[in-house]
Amino acid sequence: MIHQYKNNGYNIVLDVNSGSVHVVDELVYEVIGLLLRKCPERKIAQTMRRIVQEVEGRSDTEEQGGACADEPGQAVVEAKEKAQDGSGALPGTNLLTEIMEELITKYPADEIGEALQECRMLADAGVLFTEDVYENAITDYKARKTVVKALCLHIAHDCNLACKYCFAEEGEYHGRRALMSFEVGKKALDFLIANSGDRRNLEVDFFGGEPLMNWQVVKDLVAYGREQEKLHGKNFRFTLTTNGVLLNDEIMEFCNREMANVVLSVDGRKEVHDRMRPFRGGKGSYDLILPKFKRFADSRGQQKYYVRGTFTHYNLDFANDVLHLADEGFDQISVEPVVASATEDYALREEDLPTIFAEYDKLAAEMVKREKEGRGFTFFHYMIDLSGGPCVYKRLSGCGSGTEYLAVTPWGDLYPCHQFVGIDKYLMGNVDEGITKPEIVDEFKCCNVYTKEKCRSCFAKFYCSGGCAANSYNFHGTIQDAYDIGCELQRKRVECAIMIKAALAE
Amino acid sequence: MKHIKTLNTLQSTLKKGGCGECQTSVGNQTCEQSK
Repeated sequence: MIHQYKNNGYNIVLDVNSGSVHVVDELVYEVIGLLLRKCPERKIAQTMRRIVQEVEGRSDTEEQGGACADEPGQAVVEAKEKAQDGSGALPGTNLLTEIMEELITKYPADEIGEALQECRMLADAGVLFTEDVYENAITDYKARKTVVKALCLHIAHDCNLACKYCFAEEGEYHGRRALMSFEVGKKALDFLIANSGDRRNLEVDFFGGEPLMNWQVVKDLVAYGREQEKLHGKNFRFTLTTNGVLLNDEIMEFCNREMANVVLSVDGRKEVHDRMRPFRGGKGSYDLILPKFKRFADSRGQQKYYVRGTFTHYNLDFANDVLHLADEGFDQISVEPVVASATEDYALREEDLPTIFAEYDKLAAEMVKREKEGRGFTFFHYMIDLSGGPCVYKRLSGCGSGTEYLAVTPWGDLYPCHQFVGIDKYLMGNVDEGITKPEIVDEFKCCNVYTKEKCRSCFAKFYCSGGCAANSYNFHGTIQDAYDIGCELQRKRVECAIMIKAALAE
Repeated sequence: MKHIKTLNTLQSTLKKGGCGECQTSVGNQTCEQSK
């Protein structure tokens, strides 16, 4: 599968199945486009070899004999002549002639030959026009016995803010206010250790509601985890998300010692933030939290944290919020699209997409500029690792919700992830009895990009892993679908992220 | 190459991948094996 697009002056060709990214000139961009239009994709690599043999003036016999021509040969001359006198337009003419016919008025024939040769070399190297060889592998991988490696502890189903877009409904998750006891948290960590098999790295996220409303239990559970990891040969990675209202020096110092990552919720510009993130009395929270977040980020050396905001229909110019946070001195930034029912006035709509796309483009171009000026910053959704990154199994199997990653309520119930909490259908057990509904685990196990029709043909599947199961459920009533606006935005972000890599590789 | 610049140098992870030690997420994750 090939995805080719233009962005910020770059011609980019993504070979989806190998993950290879090629920055090409206008000629190759057109050649690849023509090949895709005129030839079934599964046959392109084979056809390429035949065309290049023609270009190099060789027969199959000569090819097998190892003859190799450096310059485009007689076939190019003949194809050029056919193209120029119009005879190449007749039905049944070969593909090389058709390509020549389309391009000969714009490019020299020998350059067209060169472009074809370069494409063929990449195809032979397994980085262009590669086939999808993963479906069977991922099916086997997903069928394996899974272990639990991450828990989201809902340490507090309560909150001191009343954010308008909160899926947790002021922290209460469609239910009652509650704080997790140390006893329940301890059982959750025991459950994680017992169900983690030989997995060494385990993750525990303190989430809410607002976790700092139950701070003593957070500290006690970290201490318990540190004690247990030594006994069981595990390595706990603790993380915390906070709205900052209760943040103080003691909490920062503890987090800097114990938390591998902290997420600090702020939406961007003051008027944007205060509109959506007020206290229950209606007053905005920006002035209280921003100075604390700045100190916190600096105290962590501007690493291992994110300031994390949400953009809505009311700030479609969200690039300005990202840049505002960067200008306030934050280096690790995420501003993400709200996911909300279409009935909400702040929800993103399909007609917003062109505006959002333009905003993502604007942000990407500005990030390139700032990076080259030595004042770059990280934007979560533009982070992409082209040279390393995870294996194909990880890329295709997704976030692990419902299998490797579970959420725990304050009273110890288990759900597939934090976004499923409160949906009775997905209550899958508790910390005392463990998983009591293994069929839910099986449902999530069988969910991957090859079981979702929309994902199979999507160029972004190796960067997205099939999207968010909770979003799919909320919009389509099944985890085997995908949230369409989310897909559109994900594809755009992947394009921008790759463009940034291309621009910075110059 | 004159016309094409390749930025990176997936199918190679089919044999060695799948250890599962990586962090919960996917496009930018660090593979624990490659550390």
